[in-house]
Amino acid sequence: MIAKTKYIPDGKKELKELSILHYLDANYLYYPVTSARCPEGKTCVREGQFVKIGEVIGTRKGAFFEQPMHATVSGEVVGYEKRVEQSGKVVDCLIVKNDKKYKFHDSIIERTDEEINALTKQDYVTIVKEAGLVGLGGSAFPTYIKLETKDQIDVVIANGVECEPYLIADYSLMMDHPQDIIEGLIYTMKASGAKKGLIAIKKKYTEIEERINFSLKQFTQYDIKVVKVGNYYPQGWELEMIKNAIGIKIPQGELLSKYGVLNFNVSTLQSIYNAVKKRLPVLERLFTISGNGVHNSSFRARIGTQISELIELAGGYKDIDIPKVLILGGPMMGVNVTRDDIVMTHTSTSLIVLNEEKLIEEPCIHCAACVYSCPVSIQPTQIMNAYKVKDKDALRMLEVSKCMECGLCSFVCPSKIHLTEYMRLGKRLAK
Amino acid sequence: MQAIKQTSPYVRKQVSTKRMMIDVLIALLPVVIFSIYRFGWNAIIRLVVVLVLMIGLEALIIGMTHKAKKTDTKLSERLKSKYSTYTINNITAPAVSAVIYTMLMPPKLPVYAVAAGAIFAIVVVKMMFGGLGANIFNVAAAGRRFVSLALTGMFAGVYIGVDMVAGATPLTALKSGMGFPSVLNSYPLLDLFTGNIPGTMGEISAIAILIGLIYLLIRRTADYRIVLSTAITFIALITLIGLKLYPTQWFEFLLYNLFSGGLLFGLTFMVTDPVTAPVTRPGRWLYGLLIGSLIVLIRTFGAYAEGVAAGLLFANMFVPLIDYQKWSSNVIKPRFVIGYVVLLVLMGLVVYFGVGGAV
Repeated sequence: MIAKTKYIPDGKKELKELSILHYLDANYLYYPVTSARCPEGKTCVREGQFVKIGEVIGTRKGAFFEQPMHATVSGEVVGYEKRVEQSGKVVDCLIVKNDKKYKFHDSIIERTDEEINALTKQDYVTIVKEAGLVGLGGSAFPTYIKLETKDQIDVVIANGVECEPYLIADYSLMMDHPQDIIEGLIYTMKASGAKKGLIAIKKKYTEIEERINFSLKQFTQYDIKVVKVGNYYPQGWELEMIKNAIGIKIPQGELLSKYGVLNFNVSTLQSIYNAVKKRLPVLERLFTISGNGVHNSSFRARIGTQISELIELAGGYKDIDIPKVLILGGPMMGVNVTRDDIVMTHTSTSLIVLNEEKLIEEPCIHCAACVYSCPVSIQPTQIMNAYKVKDKDALRMLEVSKCMECGLCSFVCPSKIHLTEYMRLGKRLAK
Repeated sequence: MQAIKQTSPYVRKQVSTKRMMIDVLIALLPVVIFSIYRFGWNAIIRLVVVLVLMIGLEALIIGMTHKAKKTDTKLSERLKSKYSTYTINNITAPAVSAVIYTMLMPPKLPVYAVAAGAIFAIVVVKMMFGGLGANIFNVAAAGRRFVSLALTGMFAGVYIGVDMVAGATPLTALKSGMGFPSVLNSYPLLDLFTGNIPGTMGEISAIAILIGLIYLLIRRTADYRIVLSTAITFIALITLIGLKLYPTQWFEFLLYNLFSGGLLFGLTFMVTDPVTAPVTRPGRWLYGLLIGSLIVLIRTFGAYAEGVAAGLLFANMFVPLIDYQKWSSNVIKPRFVIGYVVLLVLMGLVVYFGVGGAV
């Protein structure tokens, strides 16, 4: 197939039809002390201490920001254990035993509309910074840095494209809580001074368009519109999405704010809404378990729930004797884990369990399907060859650093060569 | 449950190299059937010999170049580890080369000559460069070129001793001084189209080839860019020559050139070989331009009537230059479009003045 590949069978239809199981009363909840962006962290509670929902139980420290950890249940702190975190690493986790009374902490008071109207730009930045909000689209980039920009912002875009197959978290969020997203968008517009707001969704999701437009009727004083972009992969990539939504072509590596644009994932906007309005962290979220190696199921679960419990509730693994590939996130860019005692964090969206398929790598026949499909217009096959001879200059000339590891090159290869892996190795070598 | 380690992406598209190879074989079917219909056992024998030689030699060389593990002692074990990388593509790929190569041969060329070319093609051109995906020259074209260079006598002008009855092929007739309008009397355009002419086994029936071309393009196994670019260049330059030399019959001249010789066959099955082509969009357009102009130059000014195989081999040499990391890019920039047009115009001028268009 010597042609550009854009469409990936997405398998979302079956997942959307699953009924959502509520599992909000796990006995023990786990809170990772460190995360991918925050290599350090410490807790501020002792074993045996009683905590309430929304109480700060510790802080994770990143390179330039701090992220507080919040309890999502009330109960007793019982200790620490090692669990797998969203980034695939095994980290220390604080354990809280659920007392099933769900008492809220005293600091959790809703802000009134007057209070919110009085907030200045600096207040918003402080709130977002103190709540430790990060981009939930996958980057986990600290949100306050985006808001802090000194540039003139014309438009804030809510990214609800979610182009990866098998993911329905943003979809169901937009279906169930469009109001949260819209209010979150309004807050970011106020904070950044933008006059215009856009909610970008896939062209085929007319039901979401109707849903959001219905909710927008309450907010007619703001200039917020739904904009429909392509259905293809990787439409959710911010530069590709912005290009199709407002027609601005932003070169890779440049800050969006320079062009008067801010972009947030819809779940990030919801978390901004929660932080500003309710002074709450994200307490629960939708989590899907899918793939051909497991009984598929959708859950609403508390942050901190252990995913192995959800797998058991769903009905466990299928075909036990076939080795499995466990993926956190989407099948194109997700993180591979080798244990299932994973802790749900607010960036978790789905676990995909695939039966192992043995692939035989054939020689490259220069069909250039990878070159044609590459969304950043680099030449994966040439990069692979340059990497094999460890030619750093050639790797730099081929601009391997542009690669965003979307996985399309490996996906399309008729010889089943794992080009994306060569891109990663090439990037490391060219540094 | 056993969890294994992998890196993203975890899903793959339902395509395979095997499918691409088999697509080419399917596209070749009409041509093969037509050649068997026209030449009967002559075609079948040569096909079988070349197929056996190419597939067999590839397997043999893989066995020779792969080492068995030291722990293997029994012959069966040694063979097993030697052939651990042997896949279906080590059969389909040489089969594709073999069929294309055979179709490039005149039907009455002695079998030993056909075999010699086949051995050269698979051993020297393909396996010595590293096998599938590593050869820098088109296997079939190089084999054909080898035969016509090493055994020039058998091809010269009229196929003396090879094709006594049939006499000159349409292109050699044009070369050997029959003059353009008069060759149309011996070889009407309709005959060129249906294949009722002397020539090599696969090249003569335009209609059978076009069926294959359409199939390949629909299946996206062939890149239309190379085909289109070569065709555009060829048509533009030949039209120019036609307008200069035969102003009243330039269109017949164009059709005659399109349907005679190996142009269509080469366009469908040889230039579309991805292994020896550049890997970027602009690179492939440029590659087509190169092949197209080289074919016209060789046909018009060269010593041979047939330029497709030679033009392709020359263009193959330029692929590393086109693909040089410093300027290879998959984006078609305005700069490239201008360069392409300028090159085409330049080639047009060269050809126009070459055929006596000055003053």
